[in-house]
Amino acid sequence: MENFRKVKTSEEDSPLPFPDLPPGVVEMKVKEGSKIRNLMGFAMARMELKGTRQIVFSGCGRAVTKTITCVEIMKRKLGGLHQVTKVRYKTLLEVWENKDPQPDGRVENLTVHKNVPSICILLSKDPLDPSEMGYQPPEPRDGLWAEKGGIEEDRLSSCSQGVKRPLAPPH
Amino acid sequence: MSEPAPPVAELTLRRRLPPRLPRRRGDVYVNMKTDFKAQLSRCQKLLGPGGGCTEICIHGLGLAINRAINIALQLQAGGAGALRLAANTSTVELADVLEAQSDEDGHPPLARARNNSAIHIRVCRVSPPP
Repeated sequence: MENFRKVKTSEEDSPLPFPDLPPGVVEMKVKEGSKIRNLMGFAMARMELKGTRQIVFSGCGRAVTKTITCVEIMKRKLGGLHQVTKVRYKTLLEVWENKDPQPDGRVENLTVHKNVPSICILLSKDPLDPSEMGYQPPEPRDGLWAEKGGIEEDRLSSCSQGVKRPLAPPH
Repeated sequence: MSEPAPPVAELTLRRRLPPRLPRRRGDVYVNMKTDFKAQLSRCQKLLGPGGGCTEICIHGLGLAINRAINIALQLQAGGAGALRLAANTSTVELADVLEAQSDEDGHPPLARARNNSAIHIRVCRVSPPP
C-alpha cells in the first residue's frame, strides 16, 4: 500500500433518513475542517427566521463530534427544539493510484469502499413523533437519566471515584 | 540559546473524571483506551443469550462518540435485523483543575469548566422476548 497515494475521495449520495421533510430544508453538512463559528453563524441566522421550522445537521467520520457540538450549541441558544438523531454507516469511495507506473506505462488504480460512522440530526421547532427511534424532547436536562431510575444510589456510590484517597496505613 | 524563562509556579493539569452517570449492567461506557474488539464483544455478550440484558445503553464522550456509534452499528449489522438503535445526544460538563505542585502556599487550585459532547445509544430488540 505504501506505493499508493490517495487521489480522490467521494461520498456516496444517500437520502436523509428523515421522511416527510419539507422541501428546501437547510442541511448543514459538517466536515472535519468546518469552523463551528461559520456553521453556527449561518445556521442560527436561518433558524431565527420565522419561516424556518427545521434544520438538519449531518457529518461523518471525524466530523461526528463537531456535528453533535453544533446541535448542542443550537439547542442551548434557541431552546424548545425537538430532536431526532439517526446513526448509520456512510460509504466513502476512495481512489488510490500506484506511484510507480506499470512497465507498460499504465497507471494502476485501486478503488476502496470504506464504511465510516455518520450521524444525521434533525432539529425542529414543531413537535415530532415521540415514538420515532432516536427522538429527544426539548430540554431533557436530567430527564435523559431520570426516566431510567436508580440514579441517585449510583451517583452516591460513585462520587468518590476520581478523587485520590490516601492509602490506609498498614496495620 | 537562552533558556526559556521558568514558569512562575509549577502547575499540574489534572483532568477530573467526567461525572458518572448510571452504571447498571446494561450501561457500557466506551473509551478510546480499551481495544475496540473487546468493547464490541462485551456488548455482544450482554445482549446475547445468558447476557441478561434485553437492551443496553452505549455511552460515548468526545472522541469516543465515533467508536460508540461504530459499536452500535456493528451490533446492529451482526444482529440480523433484530436490533434497533435510538441515539440521544447531550452535553457533559467537565472540570479541569490546575494544581500547584507545592501545596504549601494555600492558593486555591485554578479550575476551569468546559463542555464536551456525548452520545447515548440505546440498543434494544425489535420485539421483546415473551
